[in-house]
Amino acid sequence: MTPLWSLLFPFAGALAVLLLPARAAALSRVIALAASLGTTIAAASGCLKRLGDTASPVWSLDLEWIPQLGSRFHLAADGLALPLLLLNGIVAIAGVLFSWNITQRPRAFFSLVLAIIGGVSGVFLSRDAFLMFVFYEIVIVPKYLLIVAWGSTNREYGAMKLTMYSIGASALILLGLAAAYAASGSAGFDIAGLAAAGFPKGFQLWAFPVLFLGFVVLAGIWPFHTWAPTGHVAAPTAASMLLAGVVMKLGAYGALCVAMPLFPDGFAFWRPAIAVLAVAGILHGAFTALTRRDLKFVIGYSSVSHMGFILLGMAAATHWGLRGAVLQMISHGIIAGLLFGIAGRVIYERTHTRDLDALQRFNLWKSLPAAAVAFTLASAASMGLPGFSGFVAEVSVLIGLWESYPWLVPLVALGILITGAFTLRALCRTCFPDAAASLAIPVRMPSLTWPETTAIVLLLAVSLAIGLHPSPWISLINDGLDSPVFQPILQRP
Amino acid sequence: MFQSLLPESVLVLTALILLGLAVSKRVGAVGAQRVAAAGTLVALALMLRGGGAEPGGTGLILADPLAHLAKSVLLVVGFLALLLPIAPKETEHPGEYHALLLFALTGLMLATGTEHLLMLFISLELGSLSLYLLAGFPRTPRAAEASLKYFLFGAVSAAFLWFGLSLLYGFSGGAMLLDVAARLQSAPDAALAFAGLAMVLAGLAFKLAAAPFHAWAPDVYQGAPATTVALVAAASKVAALVVLLRILITGFDALAGSAAWGAMISGSSMWLAALAAVSMIYGNLLALVQRSVRRLLAYSAIANAGYLLVGLSTNHPSAQAAALTYAVIYSIATLGALAVTAAVERDHGDDSRNAFDGLVHRSPLLAVALLVCLASLAGLPPLAGFTGKFVLFTQSLAAVPSHGLVWLVAIAVVTSAVSLRYYLVIVKHAFAGKPESHIEFKKITFEQGLAVALPALALVVLGLFPSWLLEPVTRVISQLAAR
Repeated sequence: MTPLWSLLFPFAGALAVLLLPARAAALSRVIALAASLGTTIAAASGCLKRLGDTASPVWSLDLEWIPQLGSRFHLAADGLALPLLLLNGIVAIAGVLFSWNITQRPRAFFSLVLAIIGGVSGVFLSRDAFLMFVFYEIVIVPKYLLIVAWGSTNREYGAMKLTMYSIGASALILLGLAAAYAASGSAGFDIAGLAAAGFPKGFQLWAFPVLFLGFVVLAGIWPFHTWAPTGHVAAPTAASMLLAGVVMKLGAYGALCVAMPLFPDGFAFWRPAIAVLAVAGILHGAFTALTRRDLKFVIGYSSVSHMGFILLGMAAATHWGLRGAVLQMISHGIIAGLLFGIAGRVIYERTHTRDLDALQRFNLWKSLPAAAVAFTLASAASMGLPGFSGFVAEVSVLIGLWESYPWLVPLVALGILITGAFTLRALCRTCFPDAAASLAIPVRMPSLTWPETTAIVLLLAVSLAIGLHPSPWISLINDGLDSPVFQPILQRP
Repeated sequence: MFQSLLPESVLVLTALILLGLAVSKRVGAVGAQRVAAAGTLVALALMLRGGGAEPGGTGLILADPLAHLAKSVLLVVGFLALLLPIAPKETEHPGEYHALLLFALTGLMLATGTEHLLMLFISLELGSLSLYLLAGFPRTPRAAEASLKYFLFGAVSAAFLWFGLSLLYGFSGGAMLLDVAARLQSAPDAALAFAGLAMVLAGLAFKLAAAPFHAWAPDVYQGAPATTVALVAAASKVAALVVLLRILITGFDALAGSAAWGAMISGSSMWLAALAAVSMIYGNLLALVQRSVRRLLAYSAIANAGYLLVGLSTNHPSAQAAALTYAVIYSIATLGALAVTAAVERDHGDDSRNAFDGLVHRSPLLAVALLVCLASLAGLPPLAGFTGKFVLFTQSLAAVPSHGLVWLVAIAVVTSAVSLRYYLVIVKHAFAGKPESHIEFKKITFEQGLAVALPALALVVLGLFPSWLLEPVTRVISQLAAR
């Protein structure tokens, strides 16, 4: 099974779900699960194949598409794309499982979810900047509709804000790509070709920030991050999981694989500024999360904080830094998915509140021990305890930072400290409150359903697998970073 | 020569038949509509069978590839417009109404296939005069206001056009665009030619609904019957753009000037760039505050006229071709959106955003078609509007050396991002709004289904395979430019 299937399965699934007759609507979740499984299996088999044989050329598909624009339908699955595709598949499976009980228009819901998954796969696979941009934009309307029709708190505001930030960022990307196209003499949109064009430095100095900023707004760069918490809070569970888990990674991936290789001189110039913004994001996200009462807001701001590590790794631009950035994309995708799944589905469905003070009364450790265990493990993973994926990723980023900007390390350390603080605060309030604050007699709650348990176990297992045995992931990422397009941006300490 | 006028002849003949039927009062609204649609289809078949026709040839009636392409597009647009529902109160005289529609279409078609200044004016005015009447057909104050406003502004702009054309005639001593071009070779900085060009541009900017010559548009879009609006929005825009392209490429290549930042040279490019910037900003900002969907589409038309002019202000064939491609895509999307609006209006009696509440529950087809058309207008993939805008903006930027046009393209890109907001609000009403329960919904007819499904389908197909449209348009424009 080639990696192409990880693109075809979601879109085919979306179409199949849409075409289901109304009385077979219950089948839509089964089809969605099957399509997500197919995506995962295609990506996993691609990963295994690549691990077994890194010498041969990567899988690719290159078809004529729009000759007038010099754009080709060019896909390839290298060592960077494959693990991210796998992440997409895993988060997709978990997202579908956590939405197993959706009753409001399930066909529309699952087809929109699958459209997002397909668009994400397309971005990871594209090797043509225009094609990548097409897939990048495909997710905008499904995101909006999912939030506005199935969302909760302040959904119209959250959906519109998220969409306007996305489209505004896309406007910058379009401008940056068009400028690169014009400056390369209308040669086309092949990313490797554009990277080899060697743009003049004066041009790179203004084109790089335009293109880079366009991408990283979607990765939640401070101070353009405010769409993320409001959007995540308003979105239904599966959408928050996909948004925080994979869609935010699209921004980071585009910045790493398009903006930086295209304009290496511009990147070299703006690198310190990116590092500072990344650290600001880590600190701002962590401190804000410490003050929020809504559990989903806490997780939303923790996402902003964790996404800062990805940007920081990219700004460090050493082998350690870039590898850590990609690892953090994968790790945070898994952990954010897990946290949003537990908070938005497992806890909220049973308590009907996300307010930390109100949650104290329920004392989950007494009333729903399985959820408390899951949330505790997820919090440990989120804090970056050794054994979980977050540890491997954040340590790599920090080593990269030591090599490039040692003076920023103390600030990041402070950020990690605060991360521990806000995570423990949320954990204690929800699962282990004071006896005085909780109800005398614990409320009886329905225990975890099998889809919930499966999704939680799956995500925790992947996080542990990366944390305990990171070497296959690292070899894949190293293989991807060996590509010639990254050589001009890699700093050698 | 006469062979190439066969499609127009069929339209005129159909119109005469309709008038005959009207005199004998033997035709109802639906019948007249079907006769007109059939005539359009026959003309389209003849057009396509005629092949590319012989290129070149100067004169009153041109049968070059551009004319062939433009006329085919206009006939398709006309056919789609004729699928829109006609409310009984809009048509006490269905025979005359549809005859006038066909006359308008004929005029616009003739205008795209001539290089003769007089012929250009006469055929454009045939189109416009018919459209003024068509706007005022319903006996409502709104329609009367629309028609009168359209006519008064139109008359002034026609005077500008006429004056400009006569100046050009006086300047070149001939009535052909090629005479103007030849005269410009020997007298490149003649004030007379500048004045003539400026007035012609003003006249055509009115037809394109470019700001600040747009004041008629919102009232006409709101007050006129849906079919008229479809013709004004789509056919009139495409025809005016083709005429403008001909004038710029064949006649005024020498007076293009430059719109590059810091290196502006007075000429058509600079003036068009100014019109484009004003239209994009004004249209998009005012569309944000509209409650009536028809008025919103009018302001979107003004904004989109701006995007088209971005491509024209480069004076480069690849960007001009991208502009024409985008005009076609825009027309299809607007026709689809109008068709959905007309269907909603039929049930609700008004076109406010609230009338779209819960559309998805009562007709998924209408709701999905609306989503596709509006997303295409906003420029989202995988729809044609995305590729159209991307190609237009990229080629415009690439056409002017050293990123000279980045200021205009930046305005275009940013305002286009803003536009998503007002399109999405309608989508929100359609998909997440609660439907009003007391209104009874009629089933949508087969024609209505076609009128919304065909544009939506076309937008998806052209979004996935943009080359199918981009390739012929690029070929036609580069042929014209190479002449």
